[in-house]
Amino acid sequence: MRSRIYAILRKEFIHILRDPRSLVIVFLLPILMVLLYGHAITFDIRDIRLGLLDQDRTPAARELVEGLVSSDYFRLTGVLQSREEIGEAFLHRRMVAVLIIPQGFAAALGSRPQSEVQVIIDGSNANTATVAMNYLKAYFVTRSLQLNAQVMRTPIELQPRVWYNPDLKSVNFIVPGLVAVILMLICALLTSVTVARERETGTMEQILVSPVRSLEIIAGKTLPYILLGLLDGIVVVVFAWLWFGVPFRGEPLWLLGYALIFIYTCLSFGIFVSARVPNQQMALMMTMVSTLLPAILLSGFIFPLASMPKLLQLLSYIVPAKYFLVIIRSIMLKGIAGPLLWQPALFLVLFGTLLILISVKRFKINLEG
Amino acid sequence: MGKILHIIKKEFIQVRRDRGMLMILFVAPILQLLLLGFVISSEVHNIRTVICDLDNSSTSRLLVERIRNSGYFDLAFFDTRQNHLHDYLDNGRAVVAVVIPADFSTRLQRGEPAGLQVLMDGQDSNTSTIALGYINGILQSEIMDQIEGKLQGSEAAAEVHLISPNLRVWYNEELKNSDYMVPGIVVFLLTMVTTLVAAMGLVREREIGTLEQLLVAPLHKHELLIGKLVPFAVLGLIEVVFALCVAKLIYDIPIAGNLGLLFIFTLVYLFTTLGLGLFISASSGTQQQAMFLTLFILMFFMLMSGFLFPIENMPRVMQGISLLNPMRYFVLVIREIFIKSATVRHLYPQGLALLIFGGVVFSFAVLRFQSRMK
Repeated sequence: MRSRIYAILRKEFIHILRDPRSLVIVFLLPILMVLLYGHAITFDIRDIRLGLLDQDRTPAARELVEGLVSSDYFRLTGVLQSREEIGEAFLHRRMVAVLIIPQGFAAALGSRPQSEVQVIIDGSNANTATVAMNYLKAYFVTRSLQLNAQVMRTPIELQPRVWYNPDLKSVNFIVPGLVAVILMLICALLTSVTVARERETGTMEQILVSPVRSLEIIAGKTLPYILLGLLDGIVVVVFAWLWFGVPFRGEPLWLLGYALIFIYTCLSFGIFVSARVPNQQMALMMTMVSTLLPAILLSGFIFPLASMPKLLQLLSYIVPAKYFLVIIRSIMLKGIAGPLLWQPALFLVLFGTLLILISVKRFKINLEG
Repeated sequence: MGKILHIIKKEFIQVRRDRGMLMILFVAPILQLLLLGFVISSEVHNIRTVICDLDNSSTSRLLVERIRNSGYFDLAFFDTRQNHLHDYLDNGRAVVAVVIPADFSTRLQRGEPAGLQVLMDGQDSNTSTIALGYINGILQSEIMDQIEGKLQGSEAAAEVHLISPNLRVWYNEELKNSDYMVPGIVVFLLTMVTTLVAAMGLVREREIGTLEQLLVAPLHKHELLIGKLVPFAVLGLIEVVFALCVAKLIYDIPIAGNLGLLFIFTLVYLFTTLGLGLFISASSGTQQQAMFLTLFILMFFMLMSGFLFPIENMPRVMQGISLLNPMRYFVLVIREIFIKSATVRHLYPQGLALLIFGGVVFSFAVLRFQSRMK
């Protein structure tokens, strides 16, 4: 049995080596992607474009605006003369929010308990709008407290302490996540063609009539890619660690072990798809369409799963990247001891094995039918 | 012309005959649209929190209630053993720990500032920042209430002057995030499907050897090309119509602007995606290579187009690179048309960019294709 697996394994290796261009792509693409998106993806919302309509034109009004613009959060991008201009300004995207200081603002500030300013926000991007709104609300409360410093003092102080990622750098969150997402996509695409290719070129029959068992075919077809995927993973993690300085607090060997399991699961998914479609084109397209968006949106890579509707949370259980994301972040950022992460790892093993078993069964049917 | 029609017919027959292909082209994308529109929300909910109330007074309990009632926090654990809080964060059972110190209420009564400790798992810097913002907001309303309560009837009240902002939101009053995200998903699905079919279509015929048969047929290369691409373009348009119906029926997104304008932009955009697919097809030796290149391009389209992450927040260099991303312009166009009913007057720079991209990418692809076919 061993020699038969070995034969398939060797054949698969020859396939890989015969196509050096794909090999270069498999190693170059992930590095390029980590480099690009590690830099591009940030959560920090800064420099929100602010317009000003100052109908008061007093020192008090100017001070209010200066306090706002001197923060990192807002950038003054236009001064309006009338309310009628706001619509056009929003449509040309010159500003996201407009601060209107009505006539009599300064006078009211000296005489009445409340003096009102108006803010109009372009709500089309709900996320930016919400953040802008929260910044503005907080700013006006702070400003009110400052103005009345003699009478009112801040009675409660917030003392936040942030663990694992004290500077709240999003790169530390994004880059390990990217590793998981990219590995999942590449690995699934790698194996999705293997079986389909044989079927398309007609060599499947030859293998099927040979004395190789279906489990041996699957094993021989998966093993070389596990090696390839693991090498790929190591290259990407080392690159992320060196280039972005993402902390690595845990045990590298444990990460390596878990990466092996994760890669196994992703490759199994590729095999699973490969075993049910008639040709490479279908296999590749099926894999791409079914993994790309879920790997990014349903894995917790960017959007926290806890905030999603229950149905989507349930669906996320079948996205392998979800488990590895927890593992790689826990090991790299938290420095969690490896054995504590047995739960997600166990799930990956079970999931991968289930997919392999289904694929093997599928082969048997093929063989008999 | 008749010859082109024959090829078009052949492609349509091929697609129709292939039920798996129909699944990939229609069912899978629409299914994803149905689900994923709910994924992306600007709010963070159910933040698992452990409360450590060492004060246990009516004041502290009121504060805990305020945190609970905000609706953002899932007060999953209560634990007064301060040195155990570490464990909750380490094993991920909670991401936020709020510690109310033992002297919290007494200090407040004496008029001294009291501290409120918040420990958080900073891994997900986004969620942490948002959570901190929520707590800050809760505290601020608490502070304002306390101050108002203290000042009521007292002499100092006359001295107080507050600035009260009156915030109003235009276009999307309820700040529904799906209004913004769903059009983006529609664009991405269109991009994915059309690039994919064009990228796979030709390389496949070459790999399995049927391309030679087409090449020896009495056809001009441009006829072959048009015949191959027109069905893909039609598929893309059908896809968009389907997706828009779903977007309207399920997510009730507003379609405020001119649909005809959107249709024209879509046609222009299709030149880019089909051209890219063709280019990939002509440049790759195997279907797998074509797929890896497609993956790379689709990731670039998705992550650097403003679809998921606003471009304004990126570092300058990355903003510059994103100018090379055609999807960036189309995502903006569809959102502006839908939400703000923008017109050509507001969108001509994007239209121009898309025209240039379409022209350049498509001509490049055709040249590449012709040189490969020789």
